[in-house]
Amino acid sequence: MIPMSSMSDIGFLLLIFIMLISLINQRHEVPIEYSEATRLEKTQETDNLEIWIESNGRLSVDGEIVDDSRLESIVAATLAEKPATRVHVIADRKTPYRHVNRVVRVLQALQHRTVSFVVREAL
Amino acid sequence: MIKLKERRKPDDPGDSGSLNDLSFLLIVFFIVIAGFNVNKGFLMDLPDASKPRIVQTADLLKCSISNSGEISLDGKATTIEALSASVLEMKRNNPNMTFLLTVDPDAEWQRVVDVIHEVRRLDVSNFSFKMGGGRS
Repeated sequence: MIPMSSMSDIGFLLLIFIMLISLINQRHEVPIEYSEATRLEKTQETDNLEIWIESNGRLSVDGEIVDDSRLESIVAATLAEKPATRVHVIADRKTPYRHVNRVVRVLQALQHRTVSFVVREAL
Repeated sequence: MIKLKERRKPDDPGDSGSLNDLSFLLIVFFIVIAGFNVNKGFLMDLPDASKPRIVQTADLLKCSISNSGEISLDGKATTIEALSASVLEMKRNNPNMTFLLTVDPDAEWQRVVDVIHEVRRLDVSNFSFKMGGGRS
């Protein structure tokens, strides 16, 4: 019989590896109610910057609550470091459009054109 | 003569199959969880605020969303279904059609997503949106 005990060691090492990778890629998710649509495209890139908009208009990036000027500096610094970064706007479905427009204006001011508006696939 | 069943030794190196199954199931679980973080939605080009585009009036289809979420097409109230029909007809007559969406500052984001979704579904390439109410 072939000894199999080393297989479990390999399995657990892989498990630890994947757990560490997922910790590195940790995402600061804000509890929002996603807007929904049926036909979507994958907008994820290698480098991503997520801007969260809550229904009360509170903006946050990577777990930090920001105002418009702070948002502008974060986006500018991120794009200066990694120009290919994909900017995602993730807004609560009940958010008044004026708050989404605040983010749009910041991105327009930075001459950043391509933006991903994240929605969830409707079931 | 009584034949005794051979017992497995407790330190049998071959007796770890279930542990392998468990660890691989956990790996599959983490891979699936990682897949949940993939963003999906609409990839859009924001209009250039400093260089407004000049569009012929005949090619322009003006749509607006009010604060209550009501959709209007060229000033007349409409539904998403009727909007699709109007867009298709306009596209047939004007291949260079530009869809301009004006959104009230208080309109809910989901309503805007509904209209964007419909426009994307109908492959309207010239699409622009702005905030209405004099605050854009």
